[in-house]
Amino acid sequence: MVFAKRSAKDLIVGKIPFLIALAVLTLLPLLNVGGFWLDVLTKVNLFLLVTLAIDLYSGTTYYLNLGVSFTFGFAGYSLALLNVYYGIPTEYSMLLAIPISIFFSLAILLPSLKIRGVYFAILSLLVPIIFIGIVTAQPFSLYLGGEGGLRFKQLFLDFARSLPPGIRLTFLQYSYYYISLAAAVVGYVIAYKIGFSDFGFMLRAVGQDEELAEGTGINTLKVKVIGFLISSAYASVAGALYASMRPPVTVDLVVPANTLIPPLTSVIVGGLGTLIGPAIANYLLLLTYELLWGLIGRWRVIAYMLLLIIIITIKPQGIVFKAYVEARKFLRGVFSE
Amino acid sequence: MSEILGCEKVTKRFGGLTALNEVSLSVVKGEIFGIIGPNGSGKTTLLNVITGLIRLDEGRILLDGRDITKLKPHERVKLGIARMFQGMRVFPYLPVYLNVELVARSIYGDVRLARARTSWALTMSGLLPEAGELPIRLTPYKLRMLEFARILVSNPKIALLDEPFAGLTPDEAEAMIGLIRKFNSLGVTFVIVEHKLRYLMRIANRVAVLNQGVKIAEGRPEDVVRNPQVIEVYLGVS
Ligand SMILES: Nc1ncnc2c1ncn2[C@@H]1O[C@H](COP(=O)(O)OP(=O)(O)OP(=O)(O)O)[C@@H](O)[C@H]1O
Ligand SMILES: [Mg+2]
Repeated sequence: MVFAKRSAKDLIVGKIPFLIALAVLTLLPLLNVGGFWLDVLTKVNLFLLVTLAIDLYSGTTYYLNLGVSFTFGFAGYSLALLNVYYGIPTEYSMLLAIPISIFFSLAILLPSLKIRGVYFAILSLLVPIIFIGIVTAQPFSLYLGGEGGLRFKQLFLDFARSLPPGIRLTFLQYSYYYISLAAAVVGYVIAYKIGFSDFGFMLRAVGQDEELAEGTGINTLKVKVIGFLISSAYASVAGALYASMRPPVTVDLVVPANTLIPPLTSVIVGGLGTLIGPAIANYLLLLTYELLWGLIGRWRVIAYMLLLIIIITIKPQGIVFKAYVEARKFLRGVFSE
Repeated sequence: MSEILGCEKVTKRFGGLTALNEVSLSVVKGEIFGIIGPNGSGKTTLLNVITGLIRLDEGRILLDGRDITKLKPHERVKLGIARMFQGMRVFPYLPVYLNVELVARSIYGDVRLARARTSWALTMSGLLPEAGELPIRLTPYKLRMLEFARILVSNPKIALLDEPFAGLTPDEAEAMIGLIRKFNSLGVTFVIVEHKLRYLMRIANRVAVLNQGVKIAEGRPEDVVRNPQVIEVYLGVS
């Protein structure tokens, strides 16, 4: 991966795929794609934030934070608890849940930042697993809803009820979709700015040789903490938005197989630390997964896993970013003619 | 003659192995100070202790009279200690200019100043044409120059070089000597670790000899190489 300075033309050509994707995602719902696909796309937009959370931190520093699904789910639980026990409406508790989840993620996961390599990954994976244990065990399950989860009014429900019955559901689906799209776009632009700033390169320096980074003047602990904070913010925003749209909040939000493995796969297949690769992979993989349901039903799990195994075996460094670079070279050729 | 870097009875143990045993050094402002010793004698460990990458068990490190023993490595860099690591150590997937610029950014904060210092350091070490390349494309000599640029960019008071001549051809080593002399004359103090004596003897004002973590001799190069104890451990004559 070369991160050299870009020429002006590079930048323009680089923006074209982004603008096309943005246009497609903005106009798609107007083509009457149906409620199912709108829901799926909403989810995929929000999962982009989780993918970026992983790529911004783990994709650059190689500190594999598997606790992302904890942060994601904890934001959901914070939202639900504020709602259920303090009567704060979803619209506000959703916003409050974000800093709470960031704070707890930092408090719980930061001490393990001193631990390097695979041990950090294992420790961080314990966090969501312990949380699931807590939520489902007595006496906590009484307050945290246990397996059934915590119920609350979903985002904008009160407002939707003031609308004619025929358009209530449609209103909710479209508003959720565009909120998720806005979050995805803003999230991506900010992630790109951070990822390719000097700070982003310091994260990469830590990943490539932490001792060298510290020994040549980089405050590696500070860089790691700030990187972790940004990553947690992404996962928290995603979790709070996701939960607000799909009550009840259950441990499903925290289960790594649901909210960690899919975005992590996008990062690996997309190309670590490239941001654009994982972002594209996020849409390709998650949409493929849903498409497979229509094609082969329950067999999709096996088919999907086979597909992943093949991709990762052929190109462990991430296939999507490479493909993207090739496509851009081609585009540049077209443009210079 | 004022001291710029002092090590006072520095001791470092790795489990049962005493890598440094009450080593004391006093490096004078403006000199080129050599550290020699056979493989595993503790030279790199001493540099690690000076830069703070390894915590020492006993003793103190002083920079300009100030006790820096408890400071973190990046804080010591800001105070003026720069380091070239043994073996070529660079960020392999960051372009040459970023390898240097990140150091400048973390020292000066200010982007403009960091960029200006980076271009200057790259020019000085002859790396401007390769600024956008990845380090993997560089020859060993150019890699050394990259490490040298990283030292220059931090505007150090003292530069610690760990085997800077390793892997260089005689001509390249001469060029390296030229650079060291040049920046020494501009006021940078150098501490140079080598176990090959050939080049060090020509540029060092004083040399200390380590053996199994103990400083066994110190003095002018020509005196040190005649010291019987040094000859014994160093040349393996028993
Ligand atoms: N981090 C470490 N953990 C355990 N032992 C270490 C560590 N670093 C160095 N040592 C041991 O300390 C001793 C001194 O090592 P050091 O690297 O300082 O030697 P050196 O003089 O630089 O040798 P060389 O000429 O080979 O570079 C060696 O026996 C080495 O194995
Ligand atoms: Mg050594």
